Amino acid sequence: MSIKNTLTIWFGKFMVKALHLLGRDAGNAPGLILWEMNKDCLKAFKVDCPIIAVTGTNGKTSVTNYLNHIFESTGKKIITNKQGNNLDTGITSLLLQNCDMKGRVKADYLVLEIDESHVPVIFSKMKLETLVLLNFFRDQLDRNGEVETLILKVKKFLETFEGNVVLNADDPNVSRLGLANPKNKNIFYFSVEKYAGATEKPYEVGEGKFCPRCGEELKYDYYQYSHVGKFRCPKCGFGDVKPYVTAKNVKLDVPSIEFEGEEYKISHNSIYYVYNLSAVYAAASLYNFDKKVLHETFEKFEVNNGRLEKFNVDGSSLLVNLAKNPVGANMTLRVMNEHKGEKELLFVLNDNLADGHDVSWIWDINFSVFNDVTRVVTSGTRAYDIAIRIKCSGYDPDKIVVKPELDDAMVEFFKNKGDKYAIANYTAIQPTRAAIKRYKAKVKEGRENG
Amino acid sequence: MDKLRILHMYPAMLDLYGDSGNVEILSYRCRMRGIETEVVKHDLGDKDTDFSGVDIVYLGGGADFEQQLLADDLLGLKDNIRKAYENGVYFLMICGGYQLMGQYYKDSNGKKIPGLGLFDYYTVASTNKRERCIGNIVVETTLGDKKYKVIGFENHGGQTTNVKTPFGKVLAGNGNEFASSVEGYTEKNVTATYLHGPLLSKNPRLADYIISYCMTRKTGQPYKPEQINDKLEAECRKVLLERLLKK
Repeated sequence: MSIKNTLTIWFGKFMVKALHLLGRDAGNAPGLILWEMNKDCLKAFKVDCPIIAVTGTNGKTSVTNYLNHIFESTGKKIITNKQGNNLDTGITSLLLQNCDMKGRVKADYLVLEIDESHVPVIFSKMKLETLVLLNFFRDQLDRNGEVETLILKVKKFLETFEGNVVLNADDPNVSRLGLANPKNKNIFYFSVEKYAGATEKPYEVGEGKFCPRCGEELKYDYYQYSHVGKFRCPKCGFGDVKPYVTAKNVKLDVPSIEFEGEEYKISHNSIYYVYNLSAVYAAASLYNFDKKVLHETFEKFEVNNGRLEKFNVDGSSLLVNLAKNPVGANMTLRVMNEHKGEKELLFVLNDNLADGHDVSWIWDINFSVFNDVTRVVTSGTRAYDIAIRIKCSGYDPDKIVVKPELDDAMVEFFKNKGDKYAIANYTAIQPTRAAIKRYKAKVKEGRENG
Repeated sequence: MDKLRILHMYPAMLDLYGDSGNVEILSYRCRMRGIETEVVKHDLGDKDTDFSGVDIVYLGGGADFEQQLLADDLLGLKDNIRKAYENGVYFLMICGGYQLMGQYYKDSNGKKIPGLGLFDYYTVASTNKRERCIGNIVVETTLGDKKYKVIGFENHGGQTTNVKTPFGKVLAGNGNEFASSVEGYTEKNVTATYLHGPLLSKNPRLADYIISYCMTRKTGQPYKPEQINDKLEAECRKVLLERLLKK
């Protein structure tokens, strides 16, 4: 090991230790400082085990957690960034916490979620075995730039990559990346058979309406959600791929799906979630897991952490879901609208740096269907913006209550008992979960004190 | 019942950043006043788009890629568009739509896309894709004879110059160029601006100004829109202006 690399590791380990002694969680900070000092700091680590990375706009955290659970269920030692921290600096911090003084990282597998724009920089310095690509939607445009720019970045990386690439065949933005390196034979597509909620016309705003190869408008047999569906270029035939894995017989009322002739019980009734599971199934199939582990995982494992997370609060049942972009929000609204009976909605919208300062994406959310929603509470630093958006879709402004402070919002939201849904964007999701828990504790305390 | 016809140009391609929300807001605010709206669309390749009887022409923002794809189609409509403009049809244009109506747009790859040439301004984007004007912005414009603060979000690489009658004065943010004192372009029947948000969501008086202009033009009688429930908008503006204009 070169002296520079040795010093990089020693200094990094020293920072982690010092922060621990101060009682702090290491977080992103050591990685950030190391990158400032040495742009090649990732090369200082010795990782001999295979690395599996998950990227895409939506579902990274969920798919990474599922894969991690599957690998761990078979007794493998995994290093993973379960909580996000998916930028170059976050990965550096993660490795620092898990390496010895020589920079050796001991594990059977690294299962990492990686921000789309950081895939090239991280894996030009570490050897990647499998890349799972879920989807590309418009997301935080002021931070990430246009979707096309992001796709081209990943494409450039894939042009020389020869490892496994697991791709969503039904998203033209992802599927096109299978053509990036014609020499790579390790391209594995996953797909989901048409489900009952699929539509002939797009129901939600999408990207990728034109063929990336020849510019012709793509023709769709059906849309599953957003621009994900069965598409084909009438001119050059783009889109005609043979999937490695296809989820069949999607029954969201059970809910269950079928892979390779076997029925799998699953724990959520959203098509978006079925796509995540198909990606998990495809990636897991490359590593030959016992089907029993997959059955157990699909039926019982929950990511929680604000991803389709269920709460019972004071006689109300609540489903909380993160939404960083229109597609994420539309998915939660779909689940909400498909649920029969009256319900209330909480929408927490922040505009902090990590959210993107631009909140205009909320206008791409489809609020035109709002089945039996009796009241809406909004909160967060942009509580009024989301309230206006919902009002202009035709909803009665007198049924919208704006409470920018989360604790006030909770008191308002749980005033009536019943079925409830909450959507929160990126920096809002953890504070929202915390506020729900605080409210629960307060109710319990109130009851005990009589 | 009165009816306004909105021509939404390239809705599938120029719909970045929730810009199509502007059409939704115009329709909503008309509906609240008992004015019917009909939204007609012009998509790439449409041969028989009817410009007669149109009250508002709307163009949103798009990515460089989309702007290139539609440039030729737009040039083919030049005579129709000019005629509508000269007849006093209201033109509302955001970002890419704003740029395409000028002399030309030179994109971040140095590629020159010819504009429609309806106005004198032209736009050049920095070849460094990272150099963009991004952030919240407040512009002071004049509606009729009243000053009005317009709140939005700008995100553009293009620098627009040779603007004779800007939309407003920049109170916070960049505007037509980096650290510019002015933003957008305006005439009595034209609002061209970089502001997303969408533009009309936080600026209901601007939306009502456009509706009044169109109704007055259509009926020949001065139109005054009745007040509707804008409590949420008023609160939103208060919070944002306080935050963005704080020195």
